[in-house]
Amino acid sequence: MKPAEDIRRQQQESADDHHAPGTLVLALILLASFAIYYFANWKALADVWHVR
Amino acid sequence: MSIHAPEAGWLRAPSGGERLWIGLALAWCVILSLAMPYWHFKGKQNSTGESYRVTATAFMERVNRFIAAYKVGEEKGVAVVEPPPGSDVYLQASMWRWYPILKLKEGQSYRIHVSSMDLQHGFSLLPMNMNFQVLPGYDHVLTVTPTSKGEFTIVCNEFCGIGHHAMTGKILVD
Amino acid sequence: MSTITVGAAPVPVDTPAPKRNHAPGQVRICDTTGLPVCTVAERFIRLNAVAAVVFLLVGAICALLVALTRWPAVHLLDPVWYYRLLTAHGLNMLIFWIIFMEIGILYFASTSLLGTRLASKGLAIASFALMAVGALVTNWAVFFTQQADVLMTSYVPLRAHPAFYAGILAFAVGALLGVIDFFATLYIAKRDKTYEGSVPLVTFGATAAAIIAVVTILHGAIALIPAFTWSLGLTEVPDAGWYRIMWWGLGHQSQQINVTAMVSVWYFLGTVTVGAKPLNQAVCRGAFVLYILFINLASAHHILVDPGVGAGWKIWNTSYAMYLAVLASLIHGFTVPASVEVALRKKGHTKGLFGWLAKAPWRNPGFSAFFLSLLIFGFIGGITGVTLGTQQINIIAHNTLRIPGHFHATVVGGTSLAFMGLAYYVVPLIFRREYPLRWLARLQPYLFGGGILLLSMGMSFAGSYGVPRRHWDVEFTGAQFSAGFDAGAHLMLGVLGVGGVVAFIGLLVFILLTVWAVFLGKRIVNRPMTPW
Repeated sequence: MKPAEDIRRQQQESADDHHAPGTLVLALILLASFAIYYFANWKALADVWHVR
Repeated sequence: MSIHAPEAGWLRAPSGGERLWIGLALAWCVILSLAMPYWHFKGKQNSTGESYRVTATAFMERVNRFIAAYKVGEEKGVAVVEPPPGSDVYLQASMWRWYPILKLKEGQSYRIHVSSMDLQHGFSLLPMNMNFQVLPGYDHVLTVTPTSKGEFTIVCNEFCGIGHHAMTGKILVD
Repeated sequence: MSTITVGAAPVPVDTPAPKRNHAPGQVRICDTTGLPVCTVAERFIRLNAVAAVVFLLVGAICALLVALTRWPAVHLLDPVWYYRLLTAHGLNMLIFWIIFMEIGILYFASTSLLGTRLASKGLAIASFALMAVGALVTNWAVFFTQQADVLMTSYVPLRAHPAFYAGILAFAVGALLGVIDFFATLYIAKRDKTYEGSVPLVTFGATAAAIIAVVTILHGAIALIPAFTWSLGLTEVPDAGWYRIMWWGLGHQSQQINVTAMVSVWYFLGTVTVGAKPLNQAVCRGAFVLYILFINLASAHHILVDPGVGAGWKIWNTSYAMYLAVLASLIHGFTVPASVEVALRKKGHTKGLFGWLAKAPWRNPGFSAFFLSLLIFGFIGGITGVTLGTQQINIIAHNTLRIPGHFHATVVGGTSLAFMGLAYYVVPLIFRREYPLRWLARLQPYLFGGGILLLSMGMSFAGSYGVPRRHWDVEFTGAQFSAGFDAGAHLMLGVLGVGGVVAFIGLLVFILLTVWAVFLGKRIVNRPMTPW
């Protein structure tokens, strides 16, 4: 367990400075909230009278 | 930094998390842009903006003819009109009422023509709520099929002067 | 070598000896950032910033009174004053406060970031004079002629006193002169080689904002000049539908200027608060270009349930065209926090996924305002905006309180809050005065952001019940046919009211602290500002 963890940590530390995993998670949460809100609204729309 | 000149060779493709995110965002935008045309063809609620030029006087005449043809009663001095399904229905917006009261049948379609006699008004049917813009000079046609029964209130949600918040109307569906 | 020591560890940056084109004695080097400050431009940045805060105060008082009227339990104003103050609120906030700030930002982004002098003092004077006079004239029209209760949009055939339109037109011309001065400054910087290579990202963003501003102002002229001549009795009333389309060419584009300026300010604050560096300049700049190219078409989302334009037009403009601008926002929504994360991780805050966020300088009001602005704009403003701007969904949202619920999250919780964060640096760096009561300044962004969040949520939920916007009486007293809303809607209007009060307090704190700092704050002479 330990050696694998060490290697993983080393890989992360020597990686490109462009890693922003926290931001990626926040952005994915944003996308998920967006999808939920968007489809909830379509559902609400489907419940009103028909109009063209 | 953002306040200094960028480093040489800054024009390069994104990589890593940035590239993944751009891909996901682009995919989501594609989905978003397909949703509207999809609903336009498959969905039952659309705002196609069908409209015709009309003067206030001409529209008022059509409203009066409509009332004369199909009036079935009155409520608080306002004519209640029951048009045949599939027909042209006329609703006028003016400072500060919606006129006349419409009596429709659930599940039937009607071509509702709305226009304003004076300023811009906002047709807002509660409690659903359904909202459309009503402009003077424009006969805005809404092909509507009520899918629920009851008494529905029309309010105005486009500012039209000091009586704006007391501007109401009614649609009855059975 | 110049260094940035503001709130971050000093980071050496190689700057080749640049050429300077300032007249003798008209440039000073900032003790905090090392950037050159053109003293001519500095005077105009100050003037525009002060004017911005004056109109912000007027708009804020209107805001409080309007919010306390929409809160049914309070229902403070009578209908005439409600519609009047609502008119004044929209104009002072969405046009005057925000554009004065943006002109100031343009002067800074061109002169200090490119190391150049301001191109024309004459243009800057003319710009400020027209803007100030215009804003005063329109406010006078609203408050004193009492013939301009037409709301900010002044939709024909609603007619206002001619001074209403004249003031806005004068303001617009003034703003255009400021934008021209900005472009001229970019030109002379390039000509005089005061910088090497590409312009800094913040300047690039400011340029995008300026380009959109030109389009915006042109639309404003096209919409308002015929309305103005009609109000004078010289021409016929403009067509109602045409006016809406043209006006929103001014109205929505001005929001895109606000978004572009806000994003530029985010990059700026990220740099000065934590030393953030954009991960990929090509991506950020590309996103700004998308804003310029596509936002003009997107203003169609105000016309979605209008007669006179067909489904095809509506769908094309708000779908394919708008989503490319949305993509740009989604991109910045990642690159900005990512650059902050990378900067904080470099400083050693690497614990888990969000250790960097926990250890971020939340006590720095420049940072907290910036990051809260990002979160509110993205999560609340952006999501609601794109959804409401969908042709069909608009049917259940148009002219309900959902619309102000959306835009208070974007332009207030987003742009205005970011501009407040900027002020926490502009006052020490350009006015060279310290803020007093620093504990209160640190609290202010949370007060304001929290209040706006409540306000926006209250509006959005009330609107989803169908509660109309721009409407004095949610109980429809005196209406021929009774109407009303459920208890849930009333509760949400209460949330709107409470949020409005909290936001007002946050806003007032900002204004009072800023005014105090500018006139009475401890001077900063020959030393860097006290870091936040």
